[in-house]
Amino acid sequence: MTGLNLLVVEDDLVLAEATADELRALGHSVTLVRDGGKALQAVASASFHAILLDRMLPRLDGVSVVQQLRDDGVTIPVVMVSALGKSAEKVEGLEAGADDYVAKPAPAAELIARIQAALRARDWKKSDGDTLQVGDITVSPTRFRAWRNGRTVDLPKLELNLLIEFARNPDTVLTRAMLLERVWGYDFEPSSNLVESYVRRLRARLTSHGEPDPIQTLRGVGYMLRG
Amino acid sequence: MWLRSIGGLAAVFIAALLSAVVITGFAMDSASRAAIQTVVDRRLAIASEVLAGPAFPARADEVKRRMIEHGKARNTADLGMLLEDRDGRSLGGNIVLSPKPPMGFSSLDARAGIVGVSEGRALRRDIGGGLILTVVAESEPIDNYSAARRRIYLVGLGSIVAILLIGTVLFSLALVHRIAQMRRTVRAIMRGDLSERLPAVNERGEFRRLATEFNLMLDRVTGLMTAMKSVSSDIAHDLRAPLARLRAQLVRLERSAEAGPTQEAAEIALAMADELLGMFGAVLRIAEIDAGERLAAFERLDLTALAAEVAEMMEPIARDGDRSLLWSAGGAAHVDGDRQLLTQALLNLIENALHHTPVGTTVRVAVDTFEGQVSLSVADNGPGVAEDDRATALRRFGRLDASRNTPGHGLGLALVEAVARLHEGELRLSDARPGLKVEIRLPRGAAV
Repeated sequence: MTGLNLLVVEDDLVLAEATADELRALGHSVTLVRDGGKALQAVASASFHAILLDRMLPRLDGVSVVQQLRDDGVTIPVVMVSALGKSAEKVEGLEAGADDYVAKPAPAAELIARIQAALRARDWKKSDGDTLQVGDITVSPTRFRAWRNGRTVDLPKLELNLLIEFARNPDTVLTRAMLLERVWGYDFEPSSNLVESYVRRLRARLTSHGEPDPIQTLRGVGYMLRG
Repeated sequence: MWLRSIGGLAAVFIAALLSAVVITGFAMDSASRAAIQTVVDRRLAIASEVLAGPAFPARADEVKRRMIEHGKARNTADLGMLLEDRDGRSLGGNIVLSPKPPMGFSSLDARAGIVGVSEGRALRRDIGGGLILTVVAESEPIDNYSAARRRIYLVGLGSIVAILLIGTVLFSLALVHRIAQMRRTVRAIMRGDLSERLPAVNERGEFRRLATEFNLMLDRVTGLMTAMKSVSSDIAHDLRAPLARLRAQLVRLERSAEAGPTQEAAEIALAMADELLGMFGAVLRIAEIDAGERLAAFERLDLTALAAEVAEMMEPIARDGDRSLLWSAGGAAHVDGDRQLLTQALLNLIENALHHTPVGTTVRVAVDTFEGQVSLSVADNGPGVAEDDRATALRRFGRLDASRNTPGHGLGLALVEAVARLHEGELRLSDARPGLKVEIRLPRGAAV
């Protein structure tokens, strides 16, 4: 994937520099600003693919910045980052117009995965009917069924939901935290390897007839369903 | 405002009471006086009519004759009678009136100089023929009756006032005493003596209930303060170790930077940092729960279904670790709660049971309903936890493994306990014979 032009809004200099370094190392270009007002100025004067926005900022806080951006008709994906992972605040951030909400500190790979997912969601075309098609995998969220190469794949509920989430975001990295949020609906991270375990199960079901493994593991980052 | 103080309120009450009593006294006195006067006046009118006789104008000798006659009769002997001519000369009768009363009805007192009359009424009228007839009657059944009546009122109403006055003062004093006692307790607590409690053992009623609830509040505050104190000291203590390890790892990394690949060392250091972050995450989560911020998300849910869902999800993971996870599918058990938190609590308990037991252990998840309570339990048949160690297990950061080498931040059970507490329930550890049984008891949701 080509490098993204990102705006990082963060008032903690050490953390901001570390995040910027990590993002640059992944091939993205980063513009750093330290408060909400400067963020709005930056968005007005340059074009960014996405914004990483700290929730707690001096003067204009993150929620107000998103609100301001959305009121101004700016639709750039915004991933909000907060030291406090409280669910009420998450809801507040999402309601203000943020695309996603991550607890601090999140690894750069996690941030990029969420930005990519948000960008991809922008391109979603409402497909005809309800079936999702990724490569030789077909899945119907409403009929709770999945097929590979025309063969029915029997999937228990959780594995099916996992496949649906992958099929909705083909060629997009989904991290462990994202899957826990979206498939399990959890606002916490269990200590057991639930995601690993269920991805393994899904994989086994999808490859039971010797087909190639459609799910790619990105070590330490997450999983991706290849289209 | 002074009405808000007990003294002020009591003063207003007493003032209102006094004026009510004084008004009542005056009203009673004037009402009985008016009644007596009406009766006496009616008697005077009749007597005057009878003495004057049927003829008009009256004849003096006839009137005098009747006066003598009635002066002897038993029921009219107490009447004072006087017949005068138009110039005020006495023509007969049994009394002398020095200041002449006005015409018509009037009141008399002892100054009228009639022997035996301290208070009375007079009827003086022209009966024709140049004659003026005055009839006088006592309006008191006994001498100085009015004064006696006033004394009766004073004693009767006065004693009521006195009783209420004393009652009010005693009530106010009791209230003030109680409040002073409470203030003393509060001041002692503010000074830091959290063991202070209101005495409430031998009493009934509102004061006892207030004291009981006050004490319960203090228990809760004490619990929170103790937990907070121990969390702070636990944090100070428990974060030093991982930080020290992290530092050592970084030192190693620094030294070996030129020597060779640093990947592995960096990964270890990162894992340590993640462990610390996880610990803080758990502390924050517990703080969020304890602050009651999640109460808004409470809903009616079936704990049996929730437990089955979580257990079913964890079953393959248990199997991967060569342990078995069983759950019983009982009837619906409704509670009011936060789905996320209850799921997290149950997951924590199952994870604990899977992590801290040997291979081959069976873990059972069960939901039982009792009278008014729902019990969600996770029991294993592993080695169990000695009774003395159970308190340690419940303590925040409490780790039974003294070397702290097993994964986990020691906040799992503390989080479960916080969840139970938020749901007005409790966490219990007991012997599963063999093994450990951890149970969350929640109040059953009221029937819909």
